[in-house]
Amino acid sequence: MIKYTIKRLLQSVVTVLIVVTIVFLLMRMLPTDYFFTEDQLMKLNEQQKNEQLEAAGYLDPIPEQLFRYYGQILRGNLGESRRIQSGVPVVQVISSKFTISMKNGCISLVISLFVGVLLGIVQTLNKDRLLDHIGTGYTIFVNAVPSLVSYSLVLVFGSKVLGLPSMYSSRNVGMSCILPIVCLSLASIASYALWTRRYMVDELNKDYIKLARIKGMSSKSIMVKHVLKNAFVPLAQYVPASFLYTIAGSLLVERFFSVPGMGPLLTDSIQRYDLPLVQTLVILYAALGVVGVFLGDILMMLFDPRITLVSKGGTR
Amino acid sequence: MENKNKDELFTFVEYSPEAAEKTGYSDYSYWGSVFQNFFKKKSAVVMSVIFFALVIFTFIALAIGKYDYDKLLTDASLAFTSPNKEFWFGTDNLGRDYWCQVWYATQTSIKLALLVAAGECVVGVTIGCIWGYVRKLDRFFTELYNIINNIPMIIYMTLISLLVGQSFFIMAVTLIAFGWLYMARNVRNLVMMYRDREYNLASRCLGTPIWRVLTKNIFPYLISVIILRLALSIPSTIALESTLSYLGLGLGVETPSLGILLRNARNYFLDRPYLLIFPAVIVSTITITFYLVGNAFSDAADPRNHV
Repeated sequence: MIKYTIKRLLQSVVTVLIVVTIVFLLMRMLPTDYFFTEDQLMKLNEQQKNEQLEAAGYLDPIPEQLFRYYGQILRGNLGESRRIQSGVPVVQVISSKFTISMKNGCISLVISLFVGVLLGIVQTLNKDRLLDHIGTGYTIFVNAVPSLVSYSLVLVFGSKVLGLPSMYSSRNVGMSCILPIVCLSLASIASYALWTRRYMVDELNKDYIKLARIKGMSSKSIMVKHVLKNAFVPLAQYVPASFLYTIAGSLLVERFFSVPGMGPLLTDSIQRYDLPLVQTLVILYAALGVVGVFLGDILMMLFDPRITLVSKGGTR
Repeated sequence: MENKNKDELFTFVEYSPEAAEKTGYSDYSYWGSVFQNFFKKKSAVVMSVIFFALVIFTFIALAIGKYDYDKLLTDASLAFTSPNKEFWFGTDNLGRDYWCQVWYATQTSIKLALLVAAGECVVGVTIGCIWGYVRKLDRFFTELYNIINNIPMIIYMTLISLLVGQSFFIMAVTLIAFGWLYMARNVRNLVMMYRDREYNLASRCLGTPIWRVLTKNIFPYLISVIILRLALSIPSTIALESTLSYLGLGLGVETPSLGILLRNARNYFLDRPYLLIFPAVIVSTITITFYLVGNAFSDAADPRNHV
């Protein structure tokens, strides 16, 4: 097990390193004009521009820049933000933003797990009856309708009918984060409901359930002790990953409601040539992805002793 | 016997359809059964009628509208006219006719989605077949998949919008360039599953050429999955386009699309809901009906559901 973990960890480090290198090279493809604000572009002449770029080290040969950057990472120095929050260490910029995203994300995760699994159970119990069809209709609606449209509908309904604030404001966090959280939960409720229903129905058709029925076990205890427990195993795989991804925030939701979270940070920093910030964000995202999958595998193993990672070499 | 060499003892017979017919006759036709199964489902047929009617109407609507998209004028005095006889869907914040904007945007979305779906399908299936069938390339494509998949797509989109620009064509190419991944992965998994089944092993031993194994023995099993992916791909392309355009990373402001319309309307539709309702209802009807039709069709296309 330990050997497997170490091997997996090394693989992950390599993956993250490759991703960081590719992004580093991609970012160097941007014309250096983006280094300057529009004001500076107009005022500065070529020589002054070159001096500034030289000082920032962006004119050195690219391999040199790349190895200098590796050196910095090894020393734990991720650099300072340039344009988003001038001169502030990158880590500080990110940590001030991610708490907001993570708080909203976690609330939405808890809500969607609870509501989604509950909806899935209700659908299974009422299979092929009205409640099941309503649930399926909801899933189809969320999957098929563009999220921008469904967010707009939530916004209009929430602010016109319920009178909730339509924009996030730091003065009234409690009320104004309701609509963003609802929007974040829409899709995940649908997917938890869909998979809970699917796995439970699969499980219900298995032979051991028939045996339990024949033995005279009550429907209720079959549902709770066997079906739900077994159906939750494949579902559990996604929980840690989605918990980690809450840190990343949602670009569209946060833009749509002007939430000052992590979501829009990546695009903003690319557009403003804030390279240290971009690279740190990419390391963060890649690490989140890798760790999320790993945690999911481990959790699945804990839930279901039949699954071992060592012999099968991961479930990815 | 002994002085004959190996080639004379055993030679491959060319494939001949007549000889194949002799072994057995069945009036089973794949596409015949697909459509037969599909038309059995009344709801699916109704949905596809609605879908095609709407798509066709998108083109008619632009023709019967009173204003041409190219000749729209901004007129502040007409801003926010509610729907009436002159402006069937009202006007936007600049006093421009909303009817032609909405239908033009719908048309853009449908065109983009169809183009991207077709491109994804061609590239994804081709690469997926190679990925699944040629063992030596498996490692290469898996690594390629992991690397592209691990970098947030938004980075590519932002870079492309900054470096190359924003247009319908660029958007379509970019979406295909990243959309084939999932199709290829699905196809690859299936090809790997069916590649070494006994009937394919037998086929190979009898000297069937690879392309024939792929197209006749394996491909029928892929069709339902490919159609399902297509059915998901069209709504998701429309959604992705609207998201990216809303964020300013997709289509340019001069191309009206769902994302651009909603971005312009974001500040106004709270007080003037018609700015949201018309595009929302039309686009949702298209995506929902297509999603349902695609699901029904992919069920019908699965050879295991036949007979």
